[in-house]
Amino acid sequence: MICRRIFLRILITLSLLAAIASAQNANELRFCLRAEPKTFDPAKVDDDASLAIRYLTGGVLVRVNRQTQALEPGLAESWKASKDGREITFKLRSGVRFSDGTAFSAVDVAYTVSRLMDPALHSSTGDAFRSGNGTVATRILGPNHISVTFSAPVIGIAALFDQVGIMSSLSPKKEAAVLGPFMVSEYKPGSSVLLKRNPNYWKKDAQGRPLPYLDSIRLDIQPNRDVEALRFRRGELDLINSIDTEYYDRLAASSPSAVHDAGASLDSEFLWFNQVANAPIPEYKRNWFRSTNFRRAVSEAINRADLSRVVFNGHAQPGVGPVSPANKFWFNSKLRAQSYAPDAALQRLQADGFTRQNGSLRDKGGNAVEFSIVTNAGNKSRERMAVMIQEDLGKIGIKVNVVTLDFPSLLERIAQKFNYEAAVLGFQNVDLDPNGQMNIWLSSAEDHAWNPQQKSPETAWEAEIDRLMRAQASGMDPKKRKAAFDRVQEIVVEQAPFLYLVNKDALSAVSTSVEGATPVILSPQTYWNAERLTLRSNAQASR
Amino acid sequence: MLLWRIGRHLLSIAGIVLLGGLISATLVRFAPGFDTDEHQFDPHLSAESVRALQESRSGEHNVLRYYTSYLQGALHGDLGVSHALGQPVRTLLRDRWPVTLKVAGIGLLMGWLLATALAFAVSLTRFAAYEILGTTVSGAFLCIPAAVLALLSVIFNAPGYLAIAFIVFPKIYRYTRNLLAKAYGMPHITAARARGLGELRILFWHVLPVAGPQMIALAGITVSIALGASIPVESLCGLPGIGQLAWQAALARDLPLLVNLTALVTLVTLLANSSADVIVYMVRSREA
Repeated sequence: MICRRIFLRILITLSLLAAIASAQNANELRFCLRAEPKTFDPAKVDDDASLAIRYLTGGVLVRVNRQTQALEPGLAESWKASKDGREITFKLRSGVRFSDGTAFSAVDVAYTVSRLMDPALHSSTGDAFRSGNGTVATRILGPNHISVTFSAPVIGIAALFDQVGIMSSLSPKKEAAVLGPFMVSEYKPGSSVLLKRNPNYWKKDAQGRPLPYLDSIRLDIQPNRDVEALRFRRGELDLINSIDTEYYDRLAASSPSAVHDAGASLDSEFLWFNQVANAPIPEYKRNWFRSTNFRRAVSEAINRADLSRVVFNGHAQPGVGPVSPANKFWFNSKLRAQSYAPDAALQRLQADGFTRQNGSLRDKGGNAVEFSIVTNAGNKSRERMAVMIQEDLGKIGIKVNVVTLDFPSLLERIAQKFNYEAAVLGFQNVDLDPNGQMNIWLSSAEDHAWNPQQKSPETAWEAEIDRLMRAQASGMDPKKRKAAFDRVQEIVVEQAPFLYLVNKDALSAVSTSVEGATPVILSPQTYWNAERLTLRSNAQASR
Repeated sequence: MLLWRIGRHLLSIAGIVLLGGLISATLVRFAPGFDTDEHQFDPHLSAESVRALQESRSGEHNVLRYYTSYLQGALHGDLGVSHALGQPVRTLLRDRWPVTLKVAGIGLLMGWLLATALAFAVSLTRFAAYEILGTTVSGAFLCIPAAVLALLSVIFNAPGYLAIAFIVFPKIYRYTRNLLAKAYGMPHITAARARGLGELRILFWHVLPVAGPQMIALAGITVSIALGASIPVESLCGLPGIGQLAWQAALARDLPLLVNLTALVTLVTLLANSSADVIVYMVRSREA
């Protein structure tokens, strides 16, 4: 009898413990990071995984609303940028505390800025503020007032603070003391990062309830996308932030309410030809690649609508130019996607001295037009795009060989040895402002992919782009900046150094148990409003 | 004599590990894309930062200089910092090693149990059905690539060590089965059977002493097979062990990590083989 009672008590206790454990996990959002975070230090962040953690844990002065693309007050109640763009003054919220209880003040902002701009740190976030050679000065005007002065005008200065996670100058915990909605609670290397609710988070909802609603977020480190999709289907994950077309369609077939297509993203996929003067390619091929007519003809011969339809199952829009139509302000609306025109392409090539002989295109010197396209192995959509381009160009007599290489090998070829002919790659654009693309468009820049690090612009149109990019970077008038960048976009479409192929849609998957999720095109697409997300129990979700 | 044997093994292990590290450091340098870092294409980085990033890897350009400074650091417990993960290699190895030890260890144990149980059953009973079953099952698992077994374990939500067990199982089974068949075919076993000795007595007194030493040597080899299998298994199953780390390091051309992983895997493999060798020596000297 006594044994039975003891047994029953143990059973009840175990049931209660299990119930408590499940209740603790019930309000935990789970999703995957695709790589190990390299750092939890907000100033040193330069990889996607660390960026995700910084977004969820870092308190920022100003936040770009990912839905409206407008600036919103964060830790700064208000701010004012000077007309010359060299100074910005913030009025900070009072009574805010870090996750460890340390008080937040203007001293912390000054500390964060000075650390961020430390030349020895080589911070990607800090470099975005560097427009001149001088130093950055902070002036504390009061406990809740601070001004930051730069040596040269910084374009879009307020929006750049969206990336600056404020650190505590006093807390012994340093980067572990945060002002964002969540804080790092546990890190199992290679396995997971557990973020717990920040009890001192300053923000409240319209009803005055403290945010965030979630108790915790578990970020499982999972580089394998197949496993990620499988775990989502099993209900072990609540969301997939960015998902490939293939997985999207598979998930759409099984649970259509879980997948979201937010429309064209800011990311673009493009093809370019190697125009580097000393590249180890035959001279006659370099001459083709340097010919605007040749590049434009190739562009006309590519069927972008087919690329969108076949490779991306309709989840992509034909590419127009350097800016995606999703970028509402900066996109040049006069531009249209290049339509498929193989006949016009042939005429353009004939005007340049090319002829078709037995179905094969030959240049003035009788050389058969043949080149290889390199792309990164494992990226299925790029591999398929390259194959479709191969077929399209084959129709006008151009023979294309597709070569896939792993990423480090590809980078070595396109950026160090210049041992390639054409490449298909993409640009993950996180900035709305074109200033973030200076290193791509300036002819002297490292990332000027088709012909980098030019001592002086080798063509008139590149010189014109240099001039216009510098003009937009130094001007403070948005209209003048827009006009200058509109012209850059037109030149790029006319000269076709990059042949824009498609803008992929922002695809994501969110479990029906997650409430409040409204996937958008800006990163992080699904959890941009993590502080307002809630979880329903599985039973409720299935109803 | 035993101590001399152990000492000789330890000396050769140290030499081979050092040589393995040097060869690894040399070969990685010839891999395409060795000197690239995708972060240098971050459009936000200033020219100074890109230059600093490139200079941070300049110490790796001369293999001998790099390896000398690596050895100097290693003597003080500093194994360098991983380029790809931004963490000290020592911390990475310390955090990841237990996972591999568990996954490969349990997998190896299960593989051995399964293989030896089947091999003994076939040898003891001499039923044709068992023989066909053993040959078919081990043959099938021998044909399936390690990555496919790992993927199957992901699909069926099975633990990673099960994949490793099925990877090592056919190799152990086939070798053990052959050893036992050879031992059972010896004239003194036929004589023992003719005199009416029990099967278990024959196994423990006459078969195992013949096949045992070679099975111990096989045990040493299977350690390196299990370690090799842990690379696809851990990578595909998302297990944060040494195998996954090795895969990531290879993809990122992460020299500090690759040199240390090569040295570690060489060390474990040699230790396992040398231990098997010493055990066999001890068994044989006792028999003598």
